[in-house]
Amino acid sequence: MLDAYIGVLVLWPLVAGIACLVLRSPGLRSALVLATGAALAVGALGVATQAPFIANPGFLSSETALHIAEGASIVLPAYFLVRGLMAKHALVSVLAIAQLALAAYGIMGMPAPAATQNAVSCDGLSLALVLVVSFAGSLICIFALPYMKHHEEHLHLKVSKQPGFFLILLAFLGFMNGLAMSNDLRVFAAFFEATTLCSFLLIGHDKTEEANKSAFRALWMNILGGIFLHGGILLIQKQSGMVDLQQVVNPAMWAGASMLPVALLALAGCVKAAQMPFQTWLLGAMVAPTPVSALLHSSTMVKVGVFVCLRLAPVMQGTTTGRVLTLVGAFTFFATSALALGQSNAKKVLAYSTMANLGLIIACAGIGTPVAVAAGIVLLVIHAATKGLLFLCVGDMEQTVGSRDLEDLRGIVAISPVTALAAAAGAMAMILPPLGMLVGKWAALEAAAASPVSMVLMALGSALGVVCWVRFAGTIMSGKSIESRNAHSSALTSTPILALLAGAVGLGMAAPWLNALLIPGAGFATALAGGWGLLPSLFVLAMLAWIIGMKSLSRQSSVQLSSPYIGGLPSAEKGTYIGPLGRNWALSEGNEYAIEIFGESKLSKFAGVLAGALLLALVGGAII
Amino acid sequence: MNLTTFYLAVAGLILAPLLGGLVAGVDRVVTARLQSRMGPPLMQPFYDVGKLWSKVIPPASNWQGLFVRWALVASLASDVLLAAGADVLMCFFVQAASASFVALGAFCGSSPYSKLGAQRELFQLLAYEPVFLVAILCMAKVSGAFDAYSFMNASAQPLLFKMPLIVPGLLFVVLVKLRKSPFDISASHHMHQEVVRGVYTDYAGRDFALLEIAHWADVVVVLWICSFLWATSVVSMVATAAVFLFAALVIDNVSARLTWRHMLKVVAPISLVLATANLLWLYME
Repeated sequence: MLDAYIGVLVLWPLVAGIACLVLRSPGLRSALVLATGAALAVGALGVATQAPFIANPGFLSSETALHIAEGASIVLPAYFLVRGLMAKHALVSVLAIAQLALAAYGIMGMPAPAATQNAVSCDGLSLALVLVVSFAGSLICIFALPYMKHHEEHLHLKVSKQPGFFLILLAFLGFMNGLAMSNDLRVFAAFFEATTLCSFLLIGHDKTEEANKSAFRALWMNILGGIFLHGGILLIQKQSGMVDLQQVVNPAMWAGASMLPVALLALAGCVKAAQMPFQTWLLGAMVAPTPVSALLHSSTMVKVGVFVCLRLAPVMQGTTTGRVLTLVGAFTFFATSALALGQSNAKKVLAYSTMANLGLIIACAGIGTPVAVAAGIVLLVIHAATKGLLFLCVGDMEQTVGSRDLEDLRGIVAISPVTALAAAAGAMAMILPPLGMLVGKWAALEAAAASPVSMVLMALGSALGVVCWVRFAGTIMSGKSIESRNAHSSALTSTPILALLAGAVGLGMAAPWLNALLIPGAGFATALAGGWGLLPSLFVLAMLAWIIGMKSLSRQSSVQLSSPYIGGLPSAEKGTYIGPLGRNWALSEGNEYAIEIFGESKLSKFAGVLAGALLLALVGGAII
Repeated sequence: MNLTTFYLAVAGLILAPLLGGLVAGVDRVVTARLQSRMGPPLMQPFYDVGKLWSKVIPPASNWQGLFVRWALVASLASDVLLAAGADVLMCFFVQAASASFVALGAFCGSSPYSKLGAQRELFQLLAYEPVFLVAILCMAKVSGAFDAYSFMNASAQPLLFKMPLIVPGLLFVVLVKLRKSPFDISASHHMHQEVVRGVYTDYAGRDFALLEIAHWADVVVVLWICSFLWATSVVSMVATAAVFLFAALVIDNVSARLTWRHMLKVVAPISLVLATANLLWLYME
């Protein structure tokens, strides 16, 4: 049964995607995507009931599977090389050649590693990623159905590109599930490369000049990440002669050995998780249709990066590599939170905040203690639900008002209340106690006690995040009267949004129990111990506040509102008032972005250089 | 949770807002004396809230009542957490949530002054939150735990001797939390403010009365955390809080033209650097 569940999780999305491509009918496509959502949910729950487990399903453990993985390690870079040469993109070509050389060396120049005993190993961390991919990922794919229809209507396409689009979207989920569970590093690397391929194709989907540019930028950075990963794996193979992930993350294996391979793998994770200075590929990914950015940001791609780092956490605990990685993560948390504050582009705010939260998770991985890793996993899961929700909301609002600028979204609560309130709730779920994101941040802060500089960086990033999200929610809920327009809405749009909202808030509330669930056995004791024991009483309090607040809301929702105070006399002309000098003054509003402090141009260069130095220290420290 | 903790929590719930109201009264009397005025009676803040409670004024937004009540619950909760000896860091986050709700309510209002006030309130939050957090981290480092009782029983020696450099930072936090400086944020009682009543512009009547109580509770939390610096006895804690309060009043009266940009660019970084230096120094010992 277990093998069947794993098969559904990894292979079904691929099969359904190919069916989407071949059959091309919109009705069938919707049915297939919905069926995939259901199948993944069943598979994920099936796996969850059995975790932690080891298994050897045929399609991942056979010789053929290993050959396919080896083939992929040649074919994918070769494809990247061809694309790079066709587009005359020097960087992509050179890096793809380098990766080809590494792969060829791995196959030809190295003795074959000891056979891996178990093809699949699924612990709490793997399960967390599988659940995120299967639930949040599927919901985003469902949201994509009506979204892409509108999107293509808007572009006036003659031939729909949706069949291919959904093939990649669904296959992405399958690859992610495979990556989460595979225990053989070679298979893992093949899935890792496959996610690079998917993100490249998805970002470039619209084929505009900007999309192309962003896609190639994402490609070269992620090939670089792939090179780090392959380099790390080859070094591990050389040092120990094996590629069994569970063995590799055993701290005993690293006693006295060089930490360079671990640092390289962590570096690959940092690239994938868009940590500074590699943040630009994820920023560029915004040009793609909203479901793509939602998928990349919340449940796929970037989660691979933090997954790799969290996987390595036991090895890094207490080492120099771990300490430097903590700094790397904390610094990105701080710097990208500051960058988010200077943005009025709502999607960029989300993008920077994604990097910030990933940075926090990577800092947790660097600390490496069970409590820190638990905090990291909780952040990983809840961030997926919350960020998925926020992306879908912004995408929907963007289609409603035709702009993704925060200033244009001002007061949108009057136009499409459900989406806007969901977005505001999502924004608040990022920062409010006792919800999961805040709990994770809090646990990370207390776990970082050995690293004062990281703690200060986290304190700064935390304050920046609070300001950013309150302003985000406040702008959306702003009390400005705009001429109402009819917002289109579809059950396929609002259902994923509401489901993700329930997930974000529900999971947020359940953080401590989630923690206990995902880390059974020895880690269980740490899950609700210490500070976490405080949370249940805070939930009771939050419920109480909710009831009191809702009573007041229902009382106030029907009353006559007072006229706005404008420090002048109301004028007959709309949008103006009679103010100083007896003149008619136009009324305008706008947020303060303090560009002179948080502007992108200067700050990202400065922070990028610092972050680059930290990454060099990560590798350099491991060599010395 | 044992029974004593429960009693302490209830005491915190009731006493904190009352103490906060008294602090507000003292503030007004002392400020008046510093400016050679008579000033209102000590209990004036309570009379004010009573009067606000009796007024029924149409709200500026449907959402404000909700956010005001959430802010009140969060503010009172942070006091209760401290009284019950819970995690101080979590208490800090709960208190920050209260400030977020106040700003959100102001965003929902219709007056541009209210929204401008909310913006500046947020930047003010940005200026004081990191230094406040670092100060708490310093205390936690010395006491070896994050709960309030550990902070109070950290050592026979007052914590102040180990962390003199966080004093400017804490003073800055008190100053901000009293809502006195800077003048262009000012939900204060100053005249000639730039933005009417800032973040409070659109709040009125009962909602505003509740918000005032939430503010009192906030002030008590901040002064309480300051008083951990000399927590050898209850008397010394009250005295420490009083010293912080008076220092803040004096500073406010001599720096009447401090602006929020100055605060964010000069005051906040300096106090943060000092506090960070103190934290690092604790690690080197």
